[in-house]
This record gives sequence, C-alpha cells and structure tokens, in this order.
Amino acid sequence: MAVISTQAPSSVARLTLRQRSNVVLFLTLALVSLLVIFPVIYAIFTSFKPRGFGLARDLLAGGFYLGNYELLLSTPRFVRQIFNSFVMSFGGGVITTTAAAMAGYAFGRFSFRGRTVLLSILLAVMMLPGLTNLIPLYKIASDLGLRDTYLIMILVYAAYGIPFGTWVMVGFFRSIPTDLEEAAKVDGATPFQAFWLVVLPLAAPGLTAVFITNFVYNWNDFLAALVLLSSTAMKTAMVGLFDFQNQLTGNNNELLIAACVLIMLPGVVLFVLFRNAFLRGMLEGALKG
Amino acid sequence: MRARGLFPYVLILPAFAVVGFISFYPTLYSFFLSLHSFRRGQQTFVGLRNFEQILNSAGFYESLRLTLVYGLFFVSLTLLFAFLLALAFNRKLGYTGVFMTTIFIPWMLSEIVTGIIFRWLFLPGYGLLQELFSPLFGNITFLGHPQGAMGVVVGATIWRTLAFAMLLILAGLQTISSEVYEAAAIDGATGWQIFWYITWPLVRPTTLVVVLLLSLQAVNSTGLFLSITNGGPGRATEVLSVMMYREALVFFNFGYGAALAVVMFFVNAILAAVYLRTMRSEIVV
Repeated sequence: MAVISTQAPSSVARLTLRQRSNVVLFLTLALVSLLVIFPVIYAIFTSFKPRGFGLARDLLAGGFYLGNYELLLSTPRFVRQIFNSFVMSFGGGVITTTAAAMAGYAFGRFSFRGRTVLLSILLAVMMLPGLTNLIPLYKIASDLGLRDTYLIMILVYAAYGIPFGTWVMVGFFRSIPTDLEEAAKVDGATPFQAFWLVVLPLAAPGLTAVFITNFVYNWNDFLAALVLLSSTAMKTAMVGLFDFQNQLTGNNNELLIAACVLIMLPGVVLFVLFRNAFLRGMLEGALKG
Repeated sequence: MRARGLFPYVLILPAFAVVGFISFYPTLYSFFLSLHSFRRGQQTFVGLRNFEQILNSAGFYESLRLTLVYGLFFVSLTLLFAFLLALAFNRKLGYTGVFMTTIFIPWMLSEIVTGIIFRWLFLPGYGLLQELFSPLFGNITFLGHPQGAMGVVVGATIWRTLAFAMLLILAGLQTISSEVYEAAAIDGATGWQIFWYITWPLVRPTTLVVVLLLSLQAVNSTGLFLSITNGGPGRATEVLSVMMYREALVFFNFGYGAALAVVMFFVNAILAAVYLRTMRSEIVV
C-alpha cells in the first residue's frame, strides 16, 4: 500500500480511509469469530453447572460446579469408551502412517509399470462416499465375525486415511533430495535400509502431520463406529454420546454437555497445536487431486 | 529413480491391501447385495426389483426433494459467508491468525458433539437460540417444525463447514498477485469493479471446486441429521442418506438399503467426475 501513498497528495486521504476501513474489518472479523465460537464457550460454561442451572440466562449461575466431570470420570462405561476411541484412533493412525509412508515413497521416488494408474486408483478412493460403503461392510464384517472388534475399526480408519496420507507423503518425499540415498547405496545399504534409516527420519515432519490429522479424524468419526460397533463395552465415545443423548430426554443436559466438552478436547487441542499441518493438509487434499 | 524389481510393489502392498478390503470390495459387494432380498436370514435373488421398488415409492422422491432443498440452502449460504470471510482475511490485516484458528474449531468437533450442542441451543421452549430466533419465525418450536428442524441442521452444517470453505476460497484469492490490484487502483477502478473484473474471474475455478465439494458433502451428510433430528419430526428431515441408514441398519432391509447405496454411489460418481474434470481443466497447480 506504500505504492499508493507515494502517488499524489490526494492519496493521503485515501490511505486513511483505507486504514479506517481496515479497523472496521478487523472488528468485524473479531465479532464473527466470537459468534462462531460462542456455542463452544456456552457449552463449556454449561458443563460447569449443576443439573437444572444450564438454562439460566446468567452464564455464571450455579457457581463453579465440578460434579458433572467427577461423575463422568468415575463412570466405568464412559472411561471405557474413551479408551476404545483412543485405541481405535491410535491404531488407525499407526497403520495409516506406516502404509502411507511406504506407498508415498514408492510413488514419489520410483518409476515403475502401472505407477500412474495405481496412484489414480488409490486417490479415487477418497471420492467413495462413507455410508454407501458401510452398509455392505456391515454385512461383510458380520459374516467374518469382525463386527464389534478393535481390528475392524482400526482397518476402517486406516482405509479412510491411507489415500490422503499417501498423497501428502508423495509430496514430502519429492521435496527430499536423492543424494543421501545414493550415498547410502554407494556405502552398500539395501534399498530398504536406505528408505528406513536415511529417508524416513528426514520425512519425520510429514509423518507427524499424517499421524496427527488421521488421529483426530478417527477420534471424531461417528458414522463408521455407529454402524460397526454394537456392544456397550466396544463402542467409542462418540457412539456412547449418541446413546446417552437418546436415553436422556431433557433430564441432565448439563452432564451430557460436560461429556461433549471432554470428548471434543483431544481434537481441539491437537488442532490448535498443529494447525499448520491441518490447514496445509486440507488445501492439498481439496485442490490438488 | 528407476524401479528396482519388486521393491516399489512391496512398498505399496499394505496400502492396497487395506484399501482393497475396506473400500473397493464392499463397493463391489453392494452391487451384488442390491440384486438380492434378505428375509428371515434367507438370501434370494430378485434381480432389479429393489430398484423398481425405490423408483416407485413416494418416500424416495420426498427424500430426494429434502436432500436437494438441504443441499441448496447449505451450499449457497456456506459459499456466500465463506466468500465474504475470505475477502476479509485476504486483506492481510495482521493478528488475524487467532481468528482463523477460532473459526476452525467447529470443524474439529465431531458431528455428534455439534448435534448435541445445537439441540441444546434449540431445546424446545427453553434453548438460547430457540428463544432468540422463534419470534422472527412466527414463534415456532424449531425442532418440532418440519422446516424449522431442517433449518437447524442447515445452520449446524454451515457452522461446521464455513471455515473449510473459506480456507479454499482464500487460497484461490491469494494466487492473485497484488500488482494486479495496484495497477487497477492506479487506473482508478472502484472496489466493485476490481471485484467483478479481476477477483471474480480469477477465483471462479476455485469457487466451482468448493461448490462441488460442498455438494458431495451435502449428498452424504448423515451424522448431523441422526444426532439433531433423527429424520424427524415425522419424516420431515429424512434425507436420502438417513433413509438409507434406516432401511439397511435399523430395519435390516439389506437388499433395499444396498440398492439405495448403489443409487447414491452413482450420484456421487457423477459429482466426483465433474469435480475432477474441473480440477484438470481449471486449476493449474
């Protein structure tokens, strides 16, 4: 904008006008952000209220009450379902990251017969709609006795994450120079050793990004878990919330909201800590198919 | 690098094994299931009868209509708000990173958490937004009213998706170099002229991509409907995906549900094909 201010005397007035409009714009953005985040803040306040105080128009009514959280954390079912969510999200993340690193290295580094076709097929999976796939999968998993197991959920989350993870890793491996691998091979390393010991450590930031984003998406998954898990002991926290919501008809909303706040925490915290990885991933996933 | 024998194939094997078992095989299997009927554990081949039944049921067309209404409102409103926000963020005011992070938080909440919060805000009779908005809409109880309930789901979906759509449009805006704007300003173009003759033609491709991605999301949206309205009141919010979920996994009409899934598959495939074509022809990366 310095360009404009050096043009002519009249542009001084234009600059201040622009500055003034920038202040208005800044305040508008602040207000919009506040409106967007308000439901979350309202939920957090509600979660610290005793039963029946949630609807008071005073945000601080009922004082600072920890009973909802105490009750939740001492309910074995709730703790168990959080644990299930963790195991399935983590397992899915590990398999996604491992398989995506391997496939990303192959697609990013080597030219081999069928490379383009195979990569296109893998990326096309991102376009398969979730529920459409879950109906036949429910039948297949039932027939194989895999319904209601950690294994099937870990595989489902890995399958959801691998195509996108591979795409991110292809880009990552292409940005690492090949010199080091060549040097390793001259020193007598096998291709696998070169990959495992030399390239993979350099790709650590990419691996972290793939793992963290996949973990959060798995943690937040509702539909796949709803379809494939049926016993209380195996359900994830999200499905547990759904049951909780349906059982409770207008009774203890404050407790339900407190459960929501606890369950949203991992996703929100990981996003705030790793937001650049998430934002870059979203852009790459959507605009560079 | 040149391929070393089987090494690249070994590296891609795990990825293809998992995706093949969880994604490809079930999709093919749904075509098989859609040609069968499942009664009392008996599987019988019925040909295209499930599809016939779908195309002859009034419920299907009503669900299709609801899906289109939902999609139309969700896509157009999200696009409008996302565009305005992206234009604001593109001014590079400084210190706006915290706002960006803030508006992305809803995208990091699961559909069920979003659903519970919105049900709480629209709790019949007492909810904060129920009280605030109902005078504007003839004092209806939103969740008990056919269009009201749809409105709440549309609102919740926009709330969750806004930041994502904004980010994509912002990325499109940032590909326009500031020199173009400066040149236009020197030539005396007004703000509206700059938008209409410079900004819009250059972000049109990105906008098209966003519209297609949002449409795909609209067609497949299930979780927010299940958690906020569960298809109700009555069947007033039973969009196609909710209908499919109920038929297959609540009433265990696998054949019928799978046939619906096949129909949805083709709807998705058409949208995805248009999306990929747009990406190829319009976006140069």
